[in-house]
Amino acid sequence: MSRPSVSYFAAAAVVIAGLAGLVRGAVPQQSAAPAPASSGPGIVIGSAYVRQPANLINAAAYFTVYNTTDQPDTLTTVDSGAGAQTTLHVEDASGAMSANAAGLTVPAHGSASLVPGKGHVMIEKLYGRLLAGQTVNLSLTFAHAGQILVTVPVIGVTAPAPTPGGTPK
Amino acid sequence: MKKAMIGLAAGALLLTACSSGSAKAGDTGSGQPTASASASELNDHTDPTYSGVGLTPPQPRPQFTLTDQAGKTYKFGSETAGKPTLLYFGYTHCPDVCPTTLADIAQALQAVPAAVRDKTQVVFVTTDVKRDTPAVLKSYLSQFDAGLPNPFIGLTGSQTQIDAAQVAAHVALAEDDGQTHAAQVLLYGPDDYARVSFLQSTDETAQITHDLPKIAGGK
Repeated sequence: MSRPSVSYFAAAAVVIAGLAGLVRGAVPQQSAAPAPASSGPGIVIGSAYVRQPANLINAAAYFTVYNTTDQPDTLTTVDSGAGAQTTLHVEDASGAMSANAAGLTVPAHGSASLVPGKGHVMIEKLYGRLLAGQTVNLSLTFAHAGQILVTVPVIGVTAPAPTPGGTPK
Repeated sequence: MKKAMIGLAAGALLLTACSSGSAKAGDTGSGQPTASASASELNDHTDPTYSGVGLTPPQPRPQFTLTDQAGKTYKFGSETAGKPTLLYFGYTHCPDVCPTTLADIAQALQAVPAAVRDKTQVVFVTTDVKRDTPAVLKSYLSQFDAGLPNPFIGLTGSQTQIDAAQVAAHVALAEDDGQTHAAQVLLYGPDDYARVSFLQSTDETAQITHDLPKIAGGK
């Protein structure tokens, strides 16, 4: 996996939207213009997407977390406006994908990516159909940076995914 | 020594786990990115012909009989004989790897020459026989094969039949009601042998796009 360079931070910041409220039950949520900055100091979320679920049952959100601070941070809690149950799933040392109580650690001046097969935010008990073009609100809570709200685009069932840590291909 | 270690890593990746959302007691992830190698790292490119993971020796096209999404008997060996075939085991409740892999396959099929696209068959075999009925498979796969000349084939059957199919295809048997299943996409050529397979990675579409015409074109 390629290491993201600093130049990607600007692109990554574009998908950030500090949405005022995380309203459960409203899908889709037409967001206003994305706010310029996230609420968490030093943490930027990039390359975020949800693939339109073909099974109509559950969905997975993927993104890259950039940590520009001098200390490691940990994504501890996730929530979403798209379903009644939202969980962070990360591949463990044995290769099994499971709900991760320890969270996702992002090294100081580094990044961590959730990509298919390695980890995702699992959204279950969907409130309604998720379709390409809609957005999903995610609330990501970090041990140090606190809560960050992200508006994640839903891409088509067979659409190319944004490249983690880089610009969309 | 290096090859031996790569072999071990490949073995560890034979099964992938789609998460079901039900957290198991005692699961304690490290929170750190895992050390397991990505698919591209697993490929040592000893055979520069292919971008995917080379299969040595080549694996013959398996023979197994299941039920397709129309409810009809489907004999994989004879139905797909002589056709470039992408075979993948998964299940529709899978949130992450399965839909991404099917999307990668669909993108690759759109990218290859029409002559290759027209003769390639995709076959998805469920590892979750309890929930993936023919009707469920039909609804699911129709969202991935839209715009492609050959509809994806979705197969289900009894647990015994599914197990037999996995054994015949030389993939690891799925566990946990099919939620932990073999990760690789097997590509069989017109000569009815698989020489390359693909694992989920951000590079998977490019790998299939590169290798499929090579396999489909040659005898």
